[in-house]
Amino acid sequence: MFEPRPKEPAYAFVPKVDHPEQNRWGQSIETVPQGHVLRGKSLNINGDAAVSANPDRYKQHGFYFNADNCIACHACEAACAEKNETPAHLAFRSVGYLEGGAYPSYTRMNISMACNHCDDPVCLKGCPTLAYTKFAEYGAVLQDPDICFGCGYCTWVCPYNAPQLDPVAGHVSKCNMCVDRLEVGLKPACVSACLANALDFGVIETKPENRIQTEITIPGFPDPNITHPNIRFQQTKTLPREMTRTDSHPIQYVRTASDSLPREAGEGWGGGEYRPQPLMRDESRGWGIKKLSTRENPLVVFTLISQAVVGAFLVLFFGPLFGLDMLAADAHPIARPAFLFGMIGLQTLALVLSTLHLGRPHRFYRAFNNLRYSPVSREVAGIAVFYNLLGAYTVLTAFPQLSQWLPLGLINNLTTLAGYGAALSGLAALYFMHSIYRIPARPFWNHWQVLTSFYGAMLVLGPLAVGLVFAPLVDESTALLGTLAWAVVAGLALEIIGLAFHARDLRRMGGEGAAAHQVQTTNFAHTYRSRNAAFGVALLAVLAFALFIPQGATGWAIWLLISVVATSAAAVGRMLFYALVIPTTMPGAFFWRNPAFQAHARETGLAKMPQVGVAMDCH
Amino acid sequence: MLFGRNKKNPIKLVDKGVVEWRYTTCGYCSTGCSIEVGLDQTGTAVASRGVADADVNRGKLCIKGILEHELFRKTAGRGDKPLLRDYRHETFREVSWDAALDKTTAEIKRIQETYGRDAFSIVSTGQIMTEEFYTLGKLARGVMGTNNYDGNTTLCMASAASGYKRSFGSDGPPGCYEDFDHTDCLIAFGSNLPEQHPVIYWRLKEALEKRKFPVIVVDPRVTMFAQMADMHLAITPGTDVVLLNAMAHVILKEGLHKQDYIDAHCADFEAFKTEIERWDPYTASQQCGVDEDTIRNVARLYAKAPKAMSIWTMGINQSTHGSDGVVAINNLNLITGNIGKPGSSSLSITGQCNAMGTREWSSCSGLPGYRVLEKEKDREEISKFWNVDPEFFPKKRGMFMTDILPAIETGQIKGLWLVATNPMTSMPNTSRIRKTLEKLEFLVVQDAYSDVETNQYSHVFLPAAVWAEKEGCFTNTERRVNLIRNVMPPNGESKPDLWIFNALAKRLADGKGPSFPETAEAVFEEMKVLSKGEDRILDISGMSYAKIEAQRGMQWPCREGDETGAQRLYTDGKFQHPDGKAKLIPLAFVDNNERPDDEYPFWLNSGRVVEHFHTRTRTGKVGNANKFSPTPYMEMNPDAAAEVGVSHGGYARLTSKRGEAVVMVQLTQRVSRNMVFIPFHFHDCVNRLTLGLLDPHSRQPAYKQCSVRIEPAADQVAAAAANAAARAY
Repeated sequence: MFEPRPKEPAYAFVPKVDHPEQNRWGQSIETVPQGHVLRGKSLNINGDAAVSANPDRYKQHGFYFNADNCIACHACEAACAEKNETPAHLAFRSVGYLEGGAYPSYTRMNISMACNHCDDPVCLKGCPTLAYTKFAEYGAVLQDPDICFGCGYCTWVCPYNAPQLDPVAGHVSKCNMCVDRLEVGLKPACVSACLANALDFGVIETKPENRIQTEITIPGFPDPNITHPNIRFQQTKTLPREMTRTDSHPIQYVRTASDSLPREAGEGWGGGEYRPQPLMRDESRGWGIKKLSTRENPLVVFTLISQAVVGAFLVLFFGPLFGLDMLAADAHPIARPAFLFGMIGLQTLALVLSTLHLGRPHRFYRAFNNLRYSPVSREVAGIAVFYNLLGAYTVLTAFPQLSQWLPLGLINNLTTLAGYGAALSGLAALYFMHSIYRIPARPFWNHWQVLTSFYGAMLVLGPLAVGLVFAPLVDESTALLGTLAWAVVAGLALEIIGLAFHARDLRRMGGEGAAAHQVQTTNFAHTYRSRNAAFGVALLAVLAFALFIPQGATGWAIWLLISVVATSAAAVGRMLFYALVIPTTMPGAFFWRNPAFQAHARETGLAKMPQVGVAMDCH
Repeated sequence: MLFGRNKKNPIKLVDKGVVEWRYTTCGYCSTGCSIEVGLDQTGTAVASRGVADADVNRGKLCIKGILEHELFRKTAGRGDKPLLRDYRHETFREVSWDAALDKTTAEIKRIQETYGRDAFSIVSTGQIMTEEFYTLGKLARGVMGTNNYDGNTTLCMASAASGYKRSFGSDGPPGCYEDFDHTDCLIAFGSNLPEQHPVIYWRLKEALEKRKFPVIVVDPRVTMFAQMADMHLAITPGTDVVLLNAMAHVILKEGLHKQDYIDAHCADFEAFKTEIERWDPYTASQQCGVDEDTIRNVARLYAKAPKAMSIWTMGINQSTHGSDGVVAINNLNLITGNIGKPGSSSLSITGQCNAMGTREWSSCSGLPGYRVLEKEKDREEISKFWNVDPEFFPKKRGMFMTDILPAIETGQIKGLWLVATNPMTSMPNTSRIRKTLEKLEFLVVQDAYSDVETNQYSHVFLPAAVWAEKEGCFTNTERRVNLIRNVMPPNGESKPDLWIFNALAKRLADGKGPSFPETAEAVFEEMKVLSKGEDRILDISGMSYAKIEAQRGMQWPCREGDETGAQRLYTDGKFQHPDGKAKLIPLAFVDNNERPDDEYPFWLNSGRVVEHFHTRTRTGKVGNANKFSPTPYMEMNPDAAAEVGVSHGGYARLTSKRGEAVVMVQLTQRVSRNMVFIPFHFHDCVNRLTLGLLDPHSRQPAYKQCSVRIEPAADQVAAAAANAAARAY
């Protein structure tokens, strides 16, 4: 058991106060009822089998943050770092701020934020390895770095920047609610250290002494409806209408209602909500080349290859049904298997890349742990099934002599089964792949365009590849390319329609999505426009190809040209997809949690000093 | 509701395995927090925590204190061997303590014999223990006999000390933190508690949560404290005296002063009244930038409050009218009868952990225990006690730190011994300091860190123990003496400063003169004897190490036989001037600051940030503190930045009449359109620009008032490279 200090002051203890039965979303504050099997168990902290007698042990606890009081003294962050021995480049709790007004009527509002131990922990649901647990004890959401394989998906889905992917250690870790302190009735270390009486802690929906609000949001805090976070706020001081961030996220928060309107029932504070809006410090137009390449580059390759391979397989498998007999299994006993093996090779490469992208690649097998909730698990499972069935299909069709001892009917059935299986699992895998990105905390991604893009790429890249390889080999190349061209037309049209609606909806949705769109049409304007133009040109070219079907070598050359243009556009588009996303994350400070400073520190070499608190990208 | 694994893994949390907590006192600022350092089984310091029953901090610590055990880690730049070289262009060679001390002794003797005793100077600090200050003072005054001996407290608290002496006849802050629990109105002048003294801020916040009273912050910048205050007076830099005079004007004009108190306890009221007559709020508002209605409002609020108190820090002290500013605050409190009562005080919030210790016992400004060289009685008393010829003492105080360096520049002083101070970063006009230090025939740097920038110019480096690698006492802002118990052995071959002083005393004294006790506690016992006296306010004779630790610090005066110390001074209205009265001193005001003009259109202001201490030799190596400002930056108004073409996160080039600096820009409306703010912690940055005009009384430099020109750095990549190259931590 954690040992309180001698003469521990009263402020360090969690007060015993009355609380409602349910929180405002109707969730019971008692985590498990009397007599539940989860009661009376030890938390087994560092092997300590003791069971705490804390009477509030099975109640949802949460932080309370009084934004009126916070002075950004960093005591909470330091106490957390001291308690958890986090390295300088990492923090479970961070203080950022918003500021507004003009000197001297200037206001800075600081926000100290850690994990909110949500009712609906999206980190837990998203984690493919089941590294997260929401405990009956205090409702704490704890993460086990020893299970985590460092995919970082929880850091994508969490709107509050709570899970921390450590690029040095290669795994995620996060706020543990100081459950060891809670077991002896003490508030978490950060709360106990607060020097402004801003940060507090208790059973959720209760007010600390001397506080008058239990709001669920403050300016700069993401939409609480995403996860039902267990944090409550006080923010009574009038703030300027526009509050800006000092970090490089191109976002400001603007009050929706006019200053003069009285506060309406149900409204948060000061007559209206603060909503995120785009605000770029630098709107210069350019290519954005430097920022185009991200640490997600392996995922650019992985997603495109997977989509191309699924697309190519669909063409090979279903082609003969649409009259493309030249793609039938027996039409090209050498080229077709070779092509299939090439696809397996490419897919293997993609899987290796995506696995190496993990912080702890040797734990890759844990990817299937959370099929129930995690789109990552489902995607990986889908790809794995597709990959294996593709292999089975390839072996069955490439080496018929291997299975000569089996009845021919059975082989045919097996081949068909493997083929249909691969086709279905491939399509499903791409669907789950798209689900991964449908993250409310990442509005730029959270749009059906991801689906049109992924299936679009499948329809474009797969047929183009099949055409490139098979057209020179077959006599009926015009028929082949002429048919495949329609698939490519469909794919490109899907991409373009998706992108058009995406752009329109981003502008309409405001907030981080609109900001991302503004970045893509300014700092990345040339890249964005070129990609769009390339898709457009490719579409017109393929359409023309489908209508006029150029012959022989000329046809193949044009096909090649279209392939180059369309593939480049898809690749650049996918890079933009990762580079542009702006999460609905907590405001940072000028140095700490400021992406622009982090990039600057890496570029200038300041980051080589560990005490600068910016890890060189180790991974 | 419950998700995740069915079978729970055991929870793994960091277990530091602390087997012993050792009591000590924080070594950063002067708040004086009691802190416990946790040692694990191997004896490694692994944790820090506030002492729960210490009255000062009540279990709390600020960011620096929470991470303070990390100072015991071996880091690059921590001195562990004495270093020696003949010329400063040579590389150091590691030598034995004997070799380093012999060389130092020989050079001190040579310089003093060749050029006179005063040609060798000593500049010490506010960072080491009181017992060490006392010992260094004994060595400087009683053995070496140099009169050019001062502390770096001249850069921070000299104006407060000077102002207290002028008003009350003695140094010593008369109030305490507990005054927050009683006061009805508080004004803070140039003090940003949330950033500079967060634990004192917390004490104030706690008091305010229990009982609301108005808080007024006077600061040109919209600091967090200014935001948290009920009123923020965005004053023109350097004009606090004007504001205070005008407040006194309103109070006297409206008859809000306490005539009884003035008659009984103050001298020179008439002269004061005559001067104050000139400072009507309108005239004052034209100079100080605070409108006349606000001046009247604040003056009435303060005078009508049953109990009112003022606190201040460097906004007052570091100006050309620093000492006057302190006197003006004292005047305000004297005419309103706000001295010596609970909730009524002139409380200077001190900077360094032991700035008070050096003021009390170091003999920098005279002789130990608030004695002065100018009084024959004091010279006699100390000469007898130390076994020194009374004629050996000069009859007048010698140079201040800020006069010692110019005297080196012009050749009167040839040798310098620096103890735990870093003028290369902390003095105004760095380029001039570089040129100055180059001229020294001999510079010995005694510091815990060998990468302290001043070491570039030294001939001998003496590695000192840091913080609780040794034992002794600090005195905090509220005159509380607290104990630093030894927690860890000194790093490598480094030694406690007391050991170094004693070793040099042995060599320099040749067995003659004063005795030098070996342990800090023995020194403390010696100081206790010197502190006794009915008329002495600085009486510590009722204290002992054991009592101090048990009470988590004791305030002086604490007379022999007293169980506890006294919370406040001057409770009986008796002051330390010979007539027993406080002086009301009329304050004329001439604005001699370098003000913004066409060529240099911006005020340059400097100050602290919470995560750093002084010149970052310690905090620059503690990652979880340093990361919040790992590189220097400048706060600048976005409207002004748009005019000069400077962008957020980019680099700007600043020029002043002293030189240039390149710094990263943070745009914020926290500063006015014609002012920028740069933290002073960083080497080769703000102090390349500062003027530092000296206060005529305290000789403290005016860091916070000068003017600069700002333009974008022409080559941003080169500017970034130059910034990175300028710092090794």
